[in-house]
Amino acid sequence: MLPEFELLMPRTLPEALEMMDESSTVMPLAGGTNLLVDLRGRLSRPQTLMNIGGLVELRGVHVEDGYADVGSAVTIADLKRNVLIAKHGQALQQAATVFANPLIRNRATIGGNLAYGSPAADAAPPLLVLGAKVELLSKDTKRTVPLKEFITGVRKTVRHPKELITAIRWPIPPEGSVSVFRKLGLRKADAISVLSIAVMLHRKDTGDCDQVRIALGAVAPTPIRVAAAEDFLDGGPLTPEVIAQAAQLASEATQAIGDIRGSAAYRKRVITALVRRLLTNLAKGTKEKKH
Amino acid sequence: MTAKGKALPQPALPLLRQVGRPLRRVDALGKAVGATVYAGDFTMPNMLHAKVFRSSEPSAHIKQLNVNKARALAGVACVLTADDLPDGKLITDMPGQTGQERRKESDAPVLATRGVRFVGEPIALVAAETLAIAERAIELIEIEYDALPGVFDPLEAMKPGAPIIHEPDNIVSSWKIRKGNAEAGLASADLIVENTFRMPFLDHSYIEPEAGVAWMDDQDVINIRVCTQVVEHFRSIAQAVGVPHNKVRVRGTMIGGGFGGKEDITVEIFLALLTKETGRPVRLAYTREESILAHSKRHPFIITHRTGVKNNGRITGAKINMISDSGAYPYLSPYVLLYATVTSCGPYRIENLTVDSVSVATNNPFASAFRGFGGAQAAVAYEQQMDEMAKALAMDPLEFRKINYLKTGDSNAIGQQIKSAVWLEEEATQALAALGKKENISDDAIKMGQGFATTMQSYGRIMWFHDTSRSWVGIEQDGTIVVRCGAPDLGAGQANSLCLIAAEVLGVSLTDVTFYNSDSAVTPLAGTTTATRQLYMSGNATLKAAKMVREVLLDRAAEHFREKPNNLDLAENKVFIKSDPQQWLSLADLSKMCAADGLKLQHLALFAAPFADKLNPENLQGDIFPDFTFSAHAIEVAVDTKTGEITVLKSVGCHDVGRAFNPIAVEGQIQGGSAQGIGYALMEEVQVKDGVIRTPSLSEYLIPTAKDLPTTKAIILESGTGVGPFGAKGIGEPALTPVAPAVANAVANAIGVRIHNLPLTPERVLAALDHTKKG
Amino acid sequence: MKAKVITLNINGRRHQVTLFPNVTLLEALRSLNYTDVKNGCEKGDCGACAVELNGKVINSCLVLAWQADGARILTNAGLGTMESPHSLQEAFADAGAVQCGYCTSGMIIAAKALLDENPNPSETEIREAISGNLCRCTGYAQIISAIKMAAKKMMQQKAQE
Repeated sequence: MLPEFELLMPRTLPEALEMMDESSTVMPLAGGTNLLVDLRGRLSRPQTLMNIGGLVELRGVHVEDGYADVGSAVTIADLKRNVLIAKHGQALQQAATVFANPLIRNRATIGGNLAYGSPAADAAPPLLVLGAKVELLSKDTKRTVPLKEFITGVRKTVRHPKELITAIRWPIPPEGSVSVFRKLGLRKADAISVLSIAVMLHRKDTGDCDQVRIALGAVAPTPIRVAAAEDFLDGGPLTPEVIAQAAQLASEATQAIGDIRGSAAYRKRVITALVRRLLTNLAKGTKEKKH
Repeated sequence: MTAKGKALPQPALPLLRQVGRPLRRVDALGKAVGATVYAGDFTMPNMLHAKVFRSSEPSAHIKQLNVNKARALAGVACVLTADDLPDGKLITDMPGQTGQERRKESDAPVLATRGVRFVGEPIALVAAETLAIAERAIELIEIEYDALPGVFDPLEAMKPGAPIIHEPDNIVSSWKIRKGNAEAGLASADLIVENTFRMPFLDHSYIEPEAGVAWMDDQDVINIRVCTQVVEHFRSIAQAVGVPHNKVRVRGTMIGGGFGGKEDITVEIFLALLTKETGRPVRLAYTREESILAHSKRHPFIITHRTGVKNNGRITGAKINMISDSGAYPYLSPYVLLYATVTSCGPYRIENLTVDSVSVATNNPFASAFRGFGGAQAAVAYEQQMDEMAKALAMDPLEFRKINYLKTGDSNAIGQQIKSAVWLEEEATQALAALGKKENISDDAIKMGQGFATTMQSYGRIMWFHDTSRSWVGIEQDGTIVVRCGAPDLGAGQANSLCLIAAEVLGVSLTDVTFYNSDSAVTPLAGTTTATRQLYMSGNATLKAAKMVREVLLDRAAEHFREKPNNLDLAENKVFIKSDPQQWLSLADLSKMCAADGLKLQHLALFAAPFADKLNPENLQGDIFPDFTFSAHAIEVAVDTKTGEITVLKSVGCHDVGRAFNPIAVEGQIQGGSAQGIGYALMEEVQVKDGVIRTPSLSEYLIPTAKDLPTTKAIILESGTGVGPFGAKGIGEPALTPVAPAVANAVANAIGVRIHNLPLTPERVLAALDHTKKG
Repeated sequence: MKAKVITLNINGRRHQVTLFPNVTLLEALRSLNYTDVKNGCEKGDCGACAVELNGKVINSCLVLAWQADGARILTNAGLGTMESPHSLQEAFADAGAVQCGYCTSGMIIAAKALLDENPNPSETEIREAISGNLCRCTGYAQIISAIKMAAKKMMQQKAQE
């Protein structure tokens, strides 16, 4: 059973922000796929929850001013089938496709996935390579934080207790950009990631690639971008040797730990293998074979 | 790996009208529309809600236990600790049988008394007006432990000086086989192959967690509605609670899966104690986490094979050593170990054999029955060993096995002659043929592999248990049929099979049969739904009872038609003259005639399995099981050598089931067994560290989803030689047994190296590949 | 903790119930005797409690009853009865997709949601759609055949309409 709590049911965003302003102990509840599980396990005991899953203001997906803008309460299932996401956030759409399972995807939200601050959040690596920012609103303030800076540790974010994540946005990648997401779990559906990887790059007309971005999940206290590997690849031709070295750098940049799903050494090693594979495929425009 | 098998003898099976047809199971539609009521769905007026307080320590003295605050909480009806109980033990011997030996002192107490031996051991019970209050009361229970040294590894537990879980030592059970001269056999070999295989704890993970409701009726009978594989536990429950046997009635419900995990007592005694204490109905339903904590596990085994073989492929002798971790209490560990021991060398002729097996107590979660019951663990080892020997001899794995396969009429490891058909070669050949050629993948990182396993698994109980079953069949005056039989229905179609037998014998359609089952007081006791025994045992009892009814009907009809009973038959709700089917009488009319004459239209029959004496413990030579099912399973995998990920691409099971009662249901058993076997091979492991389960829910303990499995092709052979009704053998457990080793063999075939430990995680795959590179 | 009156519209029947905020939709449904909705894990791992909420299949253990106030809820028992089963229910019974039956109601709801969106799904799509519903008995193969059988029948019925 769930512990006792009060549940606020705002009907509009301003009403929600008002409620959060009145108390600093209001925990927003969107899809509930993490929060309710934690409550039941007594891992978290907020006094007051506020249901924001139904707020229409948080459920839009648009493209404007060169940005893709996704409401924080947009569900993973919505991301999966949204044509704008498929076009401007391939890796995110791929992550949505392999996210947990269909029932969870119908409830879990993009904002919730980030707000929870899990190192293994599957939406994070794609949003990191897309250069996403998190919009935070309180009754009186509004700020935008790069996702890189938003999650600060395991289950820790910079969100102030009175702030609500309202949107996630990222600059629309330039023409010729491609991105890909790959997750490794211990089964083929509904598995927490042993590690997850998103890679994005821009294919120039010359055939070379630039603007390479690599992000990893479940291998550090937060999902991370691997600048060392990105910098190494920047601008140069993606030869097999260069890719191999970058993959090595990516692996070295992580602070993988061992847990019930796999050892640190295994994670580090597979990062190398998969970064290499994804970069090679992206550079060549081929796809990983599915079995 | 394909060689044409010899043509099978075509058994002339008697023509049956209902048996063998893909009929809708009698329980299927109710479940499909959500109308079937499960144990957790019952509520009673004035009902209390129960919770169990459990140990957080793997090995400790209970220094102080204080339940005063919990008792004082408003809405708490009762809190029970060991102090409040008769000296109740949770009896863990084979239920339903009497006079067996066991280590009484090491049986689990109902509630921990002075100390605890594993994390999750029950210590106190609470019953309260609401579940929320019961949960709150659990939080108010105060306990202080004095931690004791624990032991968490069976190898450590056998060493001198190890903490002793139960006096006098940690050896829960041991068995040995001595046949021929293993030393001499090994000495005469051209080649000796030795391997050690390890398997982990597994959880049954039935989707229905344990649940029940109990109440006292106006005869002071404690009624317990519960999902159990064993209604005969009513005796043990009565004993633990301190009431006469006839004051406990277990009313089993349709079970939401069991696989052996609902074979031992789960919630029953707790419910009985609380309802007796409060006089009110009590409900207790485990959460998933509590289920994983509270019920038994599949035994981890460490199995070493040392096998000698001639260059021509003939096995000359073997020494096998088996060690199982029984966890903190023995439960069925001695018997699981016995099954493993008896099948330790598989379905092969090995004249010179030594087997030593031991089950060892630790402070880990307790292990007991799980589909395959030791036979599955044995197969994981012997079938990998067979592939390793074939490899060492550079022989085809099937050709090598063919040289050593048992044949019909041969004797197995314990000298028991196999009288039923042994179609191993044909099964393996057919399974491999159905698997076909390896798929071609043009990717250097991906390695493809195929493998198979052939196994033997008993059905029916150990014969020295003197197993019996009873069933009652009656015809109503409108010609409809009632079957009453105590057999619990696990979801595998146990009740349906009994109905099918009655329908077949009495010439009605399946929908004309109604069944009542799984009630320890009002349905004839049929024994446990375990050991793949219900079709064999209760099927034969039902067949016998139905034939008795048939005889009465035919005799009366014979009088009516002035014909001999032999010239009459029953079909389509009629009795008719075989040579002139136009002359018929409805069963309804015949039944009324019989009733008017005062004839007996309801019969209770008892079926007794062949009895045997206990085997000589010095060599275990003799007859032990009524029969075995022989099986093959073939698997194709793709292994990603860069990430270690394994994908099962093809799966084929081929089993001689003797007689397929319902081909859809048999296929379902084979496919379900495959799923569990693939889970066993690839992902399932209850990870335990220092006695603490690190995979406490279905988020961490992973079982296969629909995306992890191919469709298993089921090839059903029917030799008609089983000891079940109409020549049926058992398929429940045999469906699982060959699967995990087949997967392991396919993976070894793909990557060229053997991984000796299950599960075959991606990490282990990479480690094994490293090993080859270094080697 | 304050309770309030909410309306649950379940299988076409309206229930006005007074509930505390910490009651899950699963608990609410079962306490109203919709016991076809099963409790298997209470954390979204197994799918036994799956129902449709405003046309989307969800785990009812991960929704608070208040969040379902006024919403349309459909459980397996709302699809059909013994006398008049839904095509999916009939196909499940005939194809061997039902063994112990404990996952069945959630599985059928997941299948129904799939067929609503995609009346003629491929095997891969079916496997994906039921990948949040665990079954421990069948190995899923006969569940997949049942969904295919039902899809075929439902398409034929639709064509005749």
